[in-house]
Amino acid sequence: MNRAQVWLLLYLVAVVGITFVHQAGWLAAGLGLALLAAGPARWRLLTRAVLALLLFNVSVSLAYALVAWWQARPVADVLLLMNLRVLLLVFLGFWLVDRIKLLEALAGWPLLAMIATLAIGQVAVYRRLLDDFRLAFRSRNPVSPTPVDLLRHAGAQGGALLDKSLHSADQVAQAMRSRGAFDA
Amino acid sequence: MHIPDGFLSPQTYLPAWGLAGVAWAWAGRGLARRLDETLVPRLAMLTALAYALGLVMLPLPGGTSGHALGVAVLALVFGVRLAFLAYSGVLLLQALLFGAGGITALGVNALALGLVGALVAVAVRRLFAVAGDTVAVALAAFISLQVSALLVALLLGIQPAIARREDGTPLFFPLGPEITVPAVLLPHLLIGIGEAALTVFVWRHARRKGWVSA
Repeated sequence: MNRAQVWLLLYLVAVVGITFVHQAGWLAAGLGLALLAAGPARWRLLTRAVLALLLFNVSVSLAYALVAWWQARPVADVLLLMNLRVLLLVFLGFWLVDRIKLLEALAGWPLLAMIATLAIGQVAVYRRLLDDFRLAFRSRNPVSPTPVDLLRHAGAQGGALLDKSLHSADQVAQAMRSRGAFDA
Repeated sequence: MHIPDGFLSPQTYLPAWGLAGVAWAWAGRGLARRLDETLVPRLAMLTALAYALGLVMLPLPGGTSGHALGVAVLALVFGVRLAFLAYSGVLLLQALLFGAGGITALGVNALALGLVGALVAVAVRRLFAVAGDTVAVALAAFISLQVSALLVALLLGIQPAIARREDGTPLFFPLGPEITVPAVLLPHLLIGIGEAALTVFVWRHARRKGWVSA
């Protein structure tokens, strides 16, 4: 078991354990400990975690607050417990990914590691292609494009994106073939 | 629409992990022999598409988020087993890299979105094959999204009933099915139209390239 896998295992034990804790005080203490242990990256990771869950947790919290107020049920305890737990779990996830190389942690599961490798590679290709297409479209349209132009461009862009993406994935697969990735 | 960490009780996510483990073992059996340099680039391309679709999310006040999945197209092009595995990988990456979904909820999300979504898509396409390819594919994408959304809404909605203090205070997701079902399902009726259009577009592309038979 490599170092990344040990961290992954500790992380899994921690996240399961956290879901058995139903006292907001303990969850707050856990978050405090995790922040301390995360070192200099703590505020960056905390900001990332808060931003990742902000929209969804605020919307669910507001909906529950409204229902609970309507039914005269307690609000604060429930929301504090839920939001602290979610924040702690998301923070631990980001901390894990910050500390280890994900593909190293998945090394024990070759199929999963292969799918993850290809997907991560493809995501980078998609991002680059979309940026290229967006900039090219903007440079060709000095005035604002009409909705028809936008739709036509989206169709052409979608087809080209799939072709280019396939070409890129094909190159990766050939490289994997030459390294024996598909040998039985 | 995938469920984040911290919203599901252990009574829900632990059995789901067990079930998902069995399903992953079933889906992965003999797969290494199927994967070659022809199939892998196509799978990578559509998996990345599903990954990108899942990150364009709309928060839903009564139940997590709304977004297209891309599971139907994976299932129609590659079959249920490969679609389920590939989408599970997507969920894992989204959870760890973006905090979208979660590790505890991975089993539930993989089963509800990946496995059930893929099974429904393939079944609906077969059922409506007589209506023509475009209609069958569009319906497959639309209905599979709705079934997955309904499952997610129900799983969220039962949390206050199965995990609460003695005084009835919910310990995990606090809203019942009377709120989660309409909150998750109604926006997905609209999202489903987009998912169907996208699935037909990619399906036609796949057919032009000869990846799938008519």
